[in-house]
Amino acid sequence: MLTYIARRLLFLPVVLIGVTLLVFVAMSFLSPYQLVSAYIKSPEELKNQNLDALVRKYGLNDPIHIRYFRWLGNLLRGDLGYSQSANMFVLQAIKARFPATLELALFSFIPVVLGGIWLGTISAMHHNRFLDHATRIFAIIGWSLPSFVGGLIMLMYFYGVLGWFPPGRLSTWAYQIVLSPEFRQYTGMHTVDAILNWNWRVFWDAVRHLIAPTITLAYLWWAFILRITRSSMLDVLNKDYVRTARAKGLRERLVISRHVRRNAMIPVATVAGLMVLGLLGGMAITETVFDFKGIGLLTTTAAQQLDYTMVLGSTLFYGVLLVAANLIVDVMYAIIDPRVRLE
Amino acid sequence: MRTKLVAVAIAALMVVGMVAPALAQKTDPKTFVYAMFGDVDSLDPAYAYDTASGEVIHQCYDNLVAYDGNKLDAFVPMLATQVPTKANGLISADGKTIKFPIRKGVKFHNGDILTPADVEYTFERAMLADPAGGPIWMFFEPLLGVQTLRDVVPMVGGPEKFDDMSKLDPAILRKVYDKVAKTVEVEGDYVVFRLAMPYEPFMQILAKGGSWSSIVNKKWMIANGAWDGKPDTWVKWYDPPKESMTLYERTMGTGPFKVETWDRSGGQIVFKRHDGYWQGPAKLETVFIKYIDETNTRILMLKTGEADAAYVDRQYLSQVRNVPGIVVIENLPVITNTTLLFNFTIPVEGNEDIVGSGKLDGNGVPSNFFADVNVRRAFAYAFDYDTYIQQVMEGRALKPVGPAPQILPYVNKNQEWFKYDLKKAEAEFKKAFGGELWNKGFKLTILYNTGNELRKTAAEILEANIESINPKFKIDVQGMQWSTYLGKLRASALPVFFMGWHMDYPDVHNFYFPYMHSAGAFAGYCGQGLIDLAKAEFDPLINQGISASTSAERAEVYKKLQALAFEKAVAMFYIEPTEERVHRDWVKGFSFHPANSARYDFYSLWKDVK
Repeated sequence: MLTYIARRLLFLPVVLIGVTLLVFVAMSFLSPYQLVSAYIKSPEELKNQNLDALVRKYGLNDPIHIRYFRWLGNLLRGDLGYSQSANMFVLQAIKARFPATLELALFSFIPVVLGGIWLGTISAMHHNRFLDHATRIFAIIGWSLPSFVGGLIMLMYFYGVLGWFPPGRLSTWAYQIVLSPEFRQYTGMHTVDAILNWNWRVFWDAVRHLIAPTITLAYLWWAFILRITRSSMLDVLNKDYVRTARAKGLRERLVISRHVRRNAMIPVATVAGLMVLGLLGGMAITETVFDFKGIGLLTTTAAQQLDYTMVLGSTLFYGVLLVAANLIVDVMYAIIDPRVRLE
Repeated sequence: MRTKLVAVAIAALMVVGMVAPALAQKTDPKTFVYAMFGDVDSLDPAYAYDTASGEVIHQCYDNLVAYDGNKLDAFVPMLATQVPTKANGLISADGKTIKFPIRKGVKFHNGDILTPADVEYTFERAMLADPAGGPIWMFFEPLLGVQTLRDVVPMVGGPEKFDDMSKLDPAILRKVYDKVAKTVEVEGDYVVFRLAMPYEPFMQILAKGGSWSSIVNKKWMIANGAWDGKPDTWVKWYDPPKESMTLYERTMGTGPFKVETWDRSGGQIVFKRHDGYWQGPAKLETVFIKYIDETNTRILMLKTGEADAAYVDRQYLSQVRNVPGIVVIENLPVITNTTLLFNFTIPVEGNEDIVGSGKLDGNGVPSNFFADVNVRRAFAYAFDYDTYIQQVMEGRALKPVGPAPQILPYVNKNQEWFKYDLKKAEAEFKKAFGGELWNKGFKLTILYNTGNELRKTAAEILEANIESINPKFKIDVQGMQWSTYLGKLRASALPVFFMGWHMDYPDVHNFYFPYMHSAGAFAGYCGQGLIDLAKAEFDPLINQGISASTSAERAEVYKKLQALAFEKAVAMFYIEPTEERVHRDWVKGFSFHPANSARYDFYSLWKDVK
């Protein structure tokens, strides 16, 4: 096991260099002048600066390998560059925005997994009957629904009509508390910080702001978990030990909970780990609709504005997360299922 | 059991949804929330040159003078106790010396008392920093007759061209400082500006709220790493990276509010009231500007009352008009215009995709196509201004009468100007190139920046109308990415191009110079043909207009320039757009000034919450 982990750790920088190289080369197809345009916001800037000076200033005419190695060198010094779209240093921007995304991902994870498993179980238990079809259609609609449409419907109804779940991360009054010197921000995740500050008003307000994006994300992902749970459960339902359990006269509910679902959860647990990463990376639209200022929204804005330093920085960040999550999932898999022999 | 669990979960969701709003205070009368889009560039008045930054700076700083109400040419004292005029002796007879008596007892946000030295430091520090692309050229032009600090170097005997200011001879650097320092000095309780020439808009440059003229705290600035005020050290702070500037993310002024937090992760700026404000504390205690890119979200926040005011894009205004509790104020006159400019010397080689054959043969346009005044006039007559304004702009724009928006002083509203008249357009086309153009025809591509539907429609209107005059006239309308558009523009490769100009200060000079002067912002894009014409016919008048010592003299000069702009058809000025404001009906005290950067002046606002 240790050898396996060490081998995966050694492989980590190679993967990361590959990721950055790919994105860097792709963006280098833009001309230096196109890249410079990301910096120009008004004709006034052209009055005192010319494009060539800006190209020189940012070293955009240097050969690609020089620009790439310059960026890598800076990276090793902890400098990912300055993001024009975020108006701050890339590392600073990631640090500022990541807690929001992490909080949303963690809160979404619970309904996604529990809801998905529940739906998958219903579907498997009513195999090829009405409830199976209905559950699957319900989940597939969510999977097929563009997230901005789902998000906007949620926002329009639950906030616009009912006034329940507002956009943003906190209400104005709660922000006043959070930004006051008396409130210590330990993690940047408002729910966690509110608990640590023993402030339940802020906690509930933060939860209230998390509900709508969480439901939107959950509905999008339920089909994924449902499908894995359903097929895994159908597989287990046909096993001899399930038949034996039923033959012993065990009640169906106990058969399902003790013998079927527990064994069917192994593949679900595996994908659930990777799904956290999927949630982290795939929530840009949800963050935009609900004005949840996270890293997904940050990266999308950067891409729209040709802010390649930010795009490269966040790609690297996601690369680290991806490789780390893969490693953790593999190790967890080995722990959950002793039949797996990694060595 | 499972069903019960689900029911409990749904019930909990409902409880959180319903109870939590009850915990919140509904529409706190002392807290104002403004939902905007975008973000701020910098909070340093010496650097900021965008309206989003100006919106914040406006709330936190005072200027020497301010505009009187919503007038553009009348002022009231602010940090000065009097508005200088020749009548009160504070402006010298030759108009080149202006004295400001500085108000006593005014407190900065940290309690320090304002002195004339703060005012002197404010302007000297800005000029010696002169951030590239920033607004400080507006002081160099009146005070030293140049555009940048670099231009001062040859004035004091330094080299014409150099790469690095910090590598210049220290003696030259000292002379640069002396030259700058002499333009603004403390004399007792007064601050005296010495101008290179009489310059009427100088007072407007000083009066614009949320701008380069905001007075900063010298003592606090030096203690926090800004220029130390010494004559030989300034170059260390010359053209600095914006994020290294002392006021980049902090404020320290005498204004009614101070920035408490620029909360980057939350995308918002929080203001707190400055209780020691010299004009009395504001009615609002806390103000949030929340930067939310999604328009629907902003509108919903406004409808639920979570936001007191919101920026609503023009195409979404119908969603908020006639909504109970929401006030929509439209047709506010901002000082800006949008124009189709002509390139008098179109490069032909390598530009065939736009200019076709590059000859007067019906398959393209020659390099000097727009150098012919009849062609320019024909284009200007062929545009249906009224239909465009009514149907495309939904009536929220004015039809221009010249290069300067008609809200400005010195604009002759009776000046004959182009209107939609295809017969006149035909007559002009028949005269062009001695009648040759009419017989041979032309083919031309009009480009617009992709995504700008307003410009696309303007180009299509022009295309349809011109093509209807003569079947030999062919126009293609083509979109181009903004970056590529800028690249082509920079290379002066576009035969015609769209541009908007938003004033820096409300004076006609700020429009005649960019549009018609040979050194103006657009001159390079319009080719050598325009530069030559400008040098011969426009420049002397523009220079005379800005240095004229009396208003009557200026009025006369700009009348001539406006007539000349019509006679020469320098460009097709087609709209002067207006703005709108959208807020809740409990918002009171809204005031509008077309020159101010801030869309809302928080000091004047209060909330009448029942």
